Amino acid sequence: MTPVIALSLFGIINLFLGFTFKRQSLQVVTLLFIICSMALTAMDWNHEYLWFGDMMKTNNLSINFSLIIQLAGLLVVAFSNGFGKDEVYTQPAEYYAILLFSLVGALLMVSFQNLIMLFVGLEILSVAMYVLTGSDKRNLRSNEAALKYFLMGSFATGFLLFGIALVYGSTRSLYISGILYNLSHTAPESLPSFLYAGIILMGIGLLFKISAAPFHFWTPDVYEGAPTIFTMFMSTVVKTAGFAAIYHILDVTFGGFQKNWIITVYFITIITLILGNISAAYQQSAKRMLAFSSISHAGYMLLTVCANQPSTSSNILYYSLAYTLATAVSFAVLMVVAEYQTGRTEKPENFDALNGLAKNNPSLAFAFTVALLSLAGIPLTAGFWGKFFVFTDMFNKNLTYPIIIAVLMSAVGIYYYFKGIISVYFNSGEIEKIETSFLFKIALWSACIGTLVLGIYPTLLKSIF
Amino acid sequence: MIESFGYVLAFLVAGTGFMALVLTLARFIRPNRPNDEKLSTYESGEAPVGNANVRFNPRFYLYALLFVLFEIELILLFPWAVVFGDKQLAAASENWKHFALFEMLIFIGILGLGLAYAWVKGYLEWEKPNIQAEDFKSPVPPKAYEKFN
Amino acid sequence: MYLLFILLFPLLLGSFLLIAKPAKAFGLALGGSIIELIISCILLCDANTGKLPTEFISNWIPEAGLKFALFVDGINGILILLTALLVPFIIGSTAGSEKANDAKYQGLILTMQAALMGAFLAKDAFLFYFFFEASLLPIYFIINLYGSENRTKISFKFFVYTLFGSLFLLIGLIYVYLRTPGNTPSADFETLYQTASVLSTKEQSLLFLAFFIAFAIKMPMFPFHTWQPDTYTVAPSQGTMLLSGIMLKMGTYGVIRMIVPMFPAGIANWGNWVIILSVIGVLYGSIIAIQQKDMKRLLAYSSFAHVGLMSAGMLTLSNEGIQGALYQMLSHGINIVGLFFIVEVIERRTQSRDLDQLGGITSASKVLSIGFIILSLGSVALPLTNGFVGEFLLLKSVFDYQLTIGIIAGITIILGAVYTLRMIQKSMFGNASKFSINFEDLTISEKLVIIPLCILVVLGGIFPTVVLNYSQPAVDLLSKWIK
Repeated sequence: MTPVIALSLFGIINLFLGFTFKRQSLQVVTLLFIICSMALTAMDWNHEYLWFGDMMKTNNLSINFSLIIQLAGLLVVAFSNGFGKDEVYTQPAEYYAILLFSLVGALLMVSFQNLIMLFVGLEILSVAMYVLTGSDKRNLRSNEAALKYFLMGSFATGFLLFGIALVYGSTRSLYISGILYNLSHTAPESLPSFLYAGIILMGIGLLFKISAAPFHFWTPDVYEGAPTIFTMFMSTVVKTAGFAAIYHILDVTFGGFQKNWIITVYFITIITLILGNISAAYQQSAKRMLAFSSISHAGYMLLTVCANQPSTSSNILYYSLAYTLATAVSFAVLMVVAEYQTGRTEKPENFDALNGLAKNNPSLAFAFTVALLSLAGIPLTAGFWGKFFVFTDMFNKNLTYPIIIAVLMSAVGIYYYFKGIISVYFNSGEIEKIETSFLFKIALWSACIGTLVLGIYPTLLKSIF
Repeated sequence: MIESFGYVLAFLVAGTGFMALVLTLARFIRPNRPNDEKLSTYESGEAPVGNANVRFNPRFYLYALLFVLFEIELILLFPWAVVFGDKQLAAASENWKHFALFEMLIFIGILGLGLAYAWVKGYLEWEKPNIQAEDFKSPVPPKAYEKFN
Repeated sequence: MYLLFILLFPLLLGSFLLIAKPAKAFGLALGGSIIELIISCILLCDANTGKLPTEFISNWIPEAGLKFALFVDGINGILILLTALLVPFIIGSTAGSEKANDAKYQGLILTMQAALMGAFLAKDAFLFYFFFEASLLPIYFIINLYGSENRTKISFKFFVYTLFGSLFLLIGLIYVYLRTPGNTPSADFETLYQTASVLSTKEQSLLFLAFFIAFAIKMPMFPFHTWQPDTYTVAPSQGTMLLSGIMLKMGTYGVIRMIVPMFPAGIANWGNWVIILSVIGVLYGSIIAIQQKDMKRLLAYSSFAHVGLMSAGMLTLSNEGIQGALYQMLSHGINIVGLFFIVEVIERRTQSRDLDQLGGITSASKVLSIGFIILSLGSVALPLTNGFVGEFLLLKSVFDYQLTIGIIAGITIILGAVYTLRMIQKSMFGNASKFSINFEDLTISEKLVIIPLCILVVLGGIFPTVVLNYSQPAVDLLSKWIK
């Protein structure tokens, strides 16, 4: 688990580099740090290790998840070009350090072997996110979002802890291996009934983090209030880490008790799909639309968790990667356009603010379009295969009716994603050429090309996952 | 195990019971003649002014935060010290003592770095209000005042 | 390799035009599409005689059992020919307008061609689906960037409508594909055909509906046609040609390739209803076409009527029906592209497509009017034109299927004659209106588009056996699967 140590160290180093380095060079340093820790992660490929008193385990699955999470972090850092502008209020060194620390939390969440480690990881990630959400100190919305996120997040943590306590009480172990051992050596009748409550409560705690309905009420406000760059981080890293944890808890650990949790999760999935998509269709603000779209994508990913097939983990990986690339790109484009539009229009994050982007910024418009197409699940993009694999899983499990709902909802999805494409390409508006940094361009293009390559030749990664 | 909590329960019951008994008895015995003066918050003290829920200066919070941080460090340090001083554990493995010491040093080191960071950033400065210097220029020379006084 | 070439060549050329935006876009695009046509012809001839391999198979997603498989047989050969043949005309039809050297426009047309080629060439059902959907993107941009008034709303409707339909196709496909025999499921057409014996009647009926909705929206068929007239009207002429000449054939091709052999029990259940719907569509389209004033709208409804007859013929499952539908796809493509081009020519000169505002063009341009008449007669299915062969076979199959339906469908020939001749008469003959009084004769490039198309109409009517013999073995094979 060298990346965890490395990232913590890098975070501390980053804090102190803030005194000596120029603000712009901090971004490059942080990028190098993340690449370094990605390399450290990849070095464990094909090995299984136990770490920290058997509390964490790295295997290929966790390495894949870690890499996706760090890739998301990499993209976010590369897209962050707005920190250098405001000398007094922005603290780039601290932001980057907190980003690195929260990556540590996410890494703990994907490779935990002990429920306490899950809790610690979740808290490291969440506390960092609360701080980043409120980092725009002069903006009231940002403050409100941070407080909301903090209060709701604490509640969810409470649920998670209660669930862990109940599970511990009934299985006498906090280790996943211990829980599995005790469960398999106890007759199902003699298991206390609060075990099932514990499973559901743990599920709720985690479902909150991935903003599944009906635990999604914080999402639109927090996503909208937080500075866009951290919204991007929230919607990619937190979601991927959350799904890794959900998969680990529900499918790996308690997969044998599926009949006890499936109905609840099923219900949650369907509500998530319907609420997320229908509400997204009504949004005027592109940022809020992306918030609701993140809810709806949580629904699609939950479908494959419900199916619990051997291919589920690889499907979640593929879907997360596709979703991460597309979301990062769409938020990035939205961010630079909103920065440009601030002061020019009332609401710089509305769809209207994007009008006529294609005329003078063809590359931004193209990347945005590819990202939205991928989110909508149109062929040629990675998002299509994400949905394809999920549907395949569902049919293998014979869950026909949820598929019908999922399909209808993705038709709704096409509607609201195309609002973005229409305003970028076909509505008239004046946006001058927006200057972006070199790193921003590289990140934009690599994410965009990655989406297309994965959309045309998914085997490239599907064979690894 | 659960029986040992019996003592706690007994204490709770006895304590509550005693209080209830004494207060009820006192109620019957004592004379009761209230007036405005007696009912005020500080009897025969200053007359209270304004709301009791006043805002505290944020600089106190900073200190409270630092205090909590280092208190938590101490909470970890005490059990660590107990384990660290355990002779049996030390005898079991040669490197154990060094390892445990080193671990704690890292922990304290990280906290120390944090403190240093906050110090350099100036977060430990006591936030003083900016006192406006008197910039009123009197047409009368100060000597004239002295003479007058 | 030829198979791969005809798929990738237009794609690469199109992307080159889109990215590099060279100044001489017209020459590049036209030259490229002619090379494509030549290579396709070589491929079709040599693959038929066995000189070239008929398949190209490589791994695509081995984890899911999906292959990147292309093939050519008698059925898709006709559609490949159609696509390769029409695109040079479509590109040629831009000559002289400001779109001719618009690299973006030509690039979009070529990428569209690549997507259509991909859909027709695919041997794997998901590859087909992939291109089926991908073809929507270039046409969406063509309509939206170059269309006339109200295009955003209408193209959006078109896009969502068709995509909504194809989502049903997707889930239907996944369902069938998971039921294929073998350890890893496979989506190869041959393997998918084998599921017919595994699936129960109820499953087949539902799957039939899922597939059919997708294709019926694409064709379009009554009552899923509401996107069509508007979209055809607002699209730029080349977009309309692509839509009506080639893209709607993806729907009919899908029916022949997938529905017909895969769900015999489903067709037994629903076929009758669908044929009745198709015939209603034929009548409905023809009657509305009679009342249209806008020539583009009129042609849109006529195309709608023709497609109805095709789908009715296909679902009778008879050899003639399928052969007729295939032949009709080819001839309808040629006719409709020619007719839309003539509308474009008239509109360029008079700025109007309204039948009431036109007239007397014959005196100004003989070639145009003769070409118009030949193409229209092809569309009416006069003997010795290409339309006759297809329509005759289709009507025969419907008559054999059920006499009453056949008679009703037969009326459409009369109705077709009514609206087509009315269109010719109102636009070409009579007194010249103030719009068409200064009508200029055709330019050479315009003649070069119209005359070859007219020759094709006549050739198709005189030598239908070339094409029919070409597709015969594949259709026979298909009939074997049906049984």
